[in-house]
Amino acid sequence: MKKLLSVIMASALALSLVACGTDAAAKKEASNDSEPAVEETATTDDSKTYNVGVIQLVQHPALDAATEGFQAALVDKLGSSVNITVENASGDNSTCATIANSFVSDNVDLIMANATPALQASGTATSTIPIVATSITDYATALGISVDDWSGATGVNVTGTSDLAPLDGQAEMLKELFPDAKEVGIIYCSGEDNSKFQAGKIKGYLEDYGYTVSEYTFSDSSDVATVVQSACGSSDVLYVPTDNVAASCAETINNVAVTAKVPIVAGEEGICKGCGIATLSISYYDIGYAAGLMAYEILANGADPATMDIQYAPEFTKEYNPTIAEQLGITLPDDYVAIEME
Amino acid sequence: MGIETLIAGLPGTAAQGIIYGIMALGIFITFKLLNFADLSVDGSFATGGAVAAMVIISGHSWILALVLAFIAGALAGLITGVLHTLLGIPDILSGILTQLALYSINLRITGNQPNTPISVDKYNLAVSLRYKTDALITVLVIAVIIISIMYWFFGTEMGSAIRATGTNPAMTKAQGINVNLMKALGLVLSNAFVAFAGALSAQFNGNADVNMGRGAIVIGLAAIIIGEVFCNALFKKKRNFILTLTFVVFGGILYYLFIAIVLWLKMPANDMKLFTAIIVAIFLAVPYLKNKHNSSFRKAAKRGGKENA
Repeated sequence: MKKLLSVIMASALALSLVACGTDAAAKKEASNDSEPAVEETATTDDSKTYNVGVIQLVQHPALDAATEGFQAALVDKLGSSVNITVENASGDNSTCATIANSFVSDNVDLIMANATPALQASGTATSTIPIVATSITDYATALGISVDDWSGATGVNVTGTSDLAPLDGQAEMLKELFPDAKEVGIIYCSGEDNSKFQAGKIKGYLEDYGYTVSEYTFSDSSDVATVVQSACGSSDVLYVPTDNVAASCAETINNVAVTAKVPIVAGEEGICKGCGIATLSISYYDIGYAAGLMAYEILANGADPATMDIQYAPEFTKEYNPTIAEQLGITLPDDYVAIEME
Repeated sequence: MGIETLIAGLPGTAAQGIIYGIMALGIFITFKLLNFADLSVDGSFATGGAVAAMVIISGHSWILALVLAFIAGALAGLITGVLHTLLGIPDILSGILTQLALYSINLRITGNQPNTPISVDKYNLAVSLRYKTDALITVLVIAVIIISIMYWFFGTEMGSAIRATGTNPAMTKAQGINVNLMKALGLVLSNAFVAFAGALSAQFNGNADVNMGRGAIVIGLAAIIIGEVFCNALFKKKRNFILTLTFVVFGGILYYLFIAIVLWLKMPANDMKLFTAIIVAIFLAVPYLKNKHNSSFRKAAKRGGKENA
């Protein structure tokens, strides 16, 4: 019994030491990156230090960029009088709840929720601590607010920025680049709410232009290749929304689509870099930064999240993938910017 | 964040742990009593969440939601049972097939919405992260009721037949018990409890997500194993069935306490699963090594093995 306990204790201790070690290193890095060498900042109240907790659903370039932008905005505005704790749920829904619970118990001044399940867990955990979210496509869907009651603000302790891609602009782009195409295939993961929402929206726009639109869904990375293969078989052009699974499997999608000589219009830059020919993209760093500014308004100036309108990405850039354009022999108009390829 | 944060968060952590402990009780039926590695639980956990979400947002009470989730889980277990007993598909594979099928079925249940929000502001829920202490009391009462029901049931003739099937199928058959029926029954019960826990979990988190069951089996097994080790350490020979069941739920609480501590220590999130695997492996290995160490054969060999040889 004693021996058993001592073994368990020892191993737990060893693991916690490892944990602390990595943490210290991470902290050092973070402070080197983000702490500006300014002593005096333009804060309204020098004596107060704000505690902000960030819940991010999963590690992923787009979400990471949004978190970075959020931190940068708060550090720009509040300097050293803000203390930001970033926690990541590694894709687990239940861990989002665990993290939300710990932030509420810590009584943080504000919670930043990055992605839908993180927002839902935070919104469940507290009705009083302000929540600023980002990377949410549609707040009404995420919070279960009916479309008729939607006024632009949530009416509860939640506000934030949306990563809704300019779907009408993307449909227009597809029309501009491929006017002779007839069949458009939309490919996305059936497990992602945001993708389903976008697919439904852009389908409407494309059908108005006279395209025949079909949806092809995969359930996870294992059946991406098969689904894309069948989509290529019956489409002239493919569209991929801002889908997390598609983003992680862009290379797979590309291998199938380039071989089949089917061009892809992508929902954002990251996916376009992997498998798209062109995109009209938002910047996740920018929407994160905008969310950070909203958080500053709430913390320093007492703004009420219930009445703050959800903000959308301010500007979009027409980008194209030079490698894939060359492979497919497509020349893009002059106003498209080439994505920098590594 | 100081230690007081961890303590203030305990009711929430414990409530979450008990919900997963109830799921682990379901897994306990197949894994421990029937000796059947049932992987369909990753699907049926989400089925419970999906059914509960749909019942609640259509304006019905959470009681009906829990009852229907229980029934839906039972049906999911029946699929695995039929695949395994009537169609002769091996246990692991029949569970995986059901899990695959359930992904699509769960999406159909929620009207093809991968994520259904259930706001505590709009609906009456059984449990919610918003009201931690109430949630803790509620799930504690539910867990006590479920443990009592299981204790009673596995003492009846039918429950004993299920246990016998897991212990020695050949002997059970010789007693004239329908082994296949008992296996199917065990799977039905197991998945019903798992889906019931899924329904609680969806309400607790405020959403039913098609991916919510991913990794449920691992959490369940971890809870069972951690509970067992603690039960052995504290009660050794005095272990009985009711203690074993209680410690399964206790294992769930400990598991989530570990997660909370890992987060509190600011461990990198990417290493969470590695950390979990190491913890479970330690808990599995320690009793084995201890037994080996205390094995009478080894002692005998040390004492007089050379002279007798």
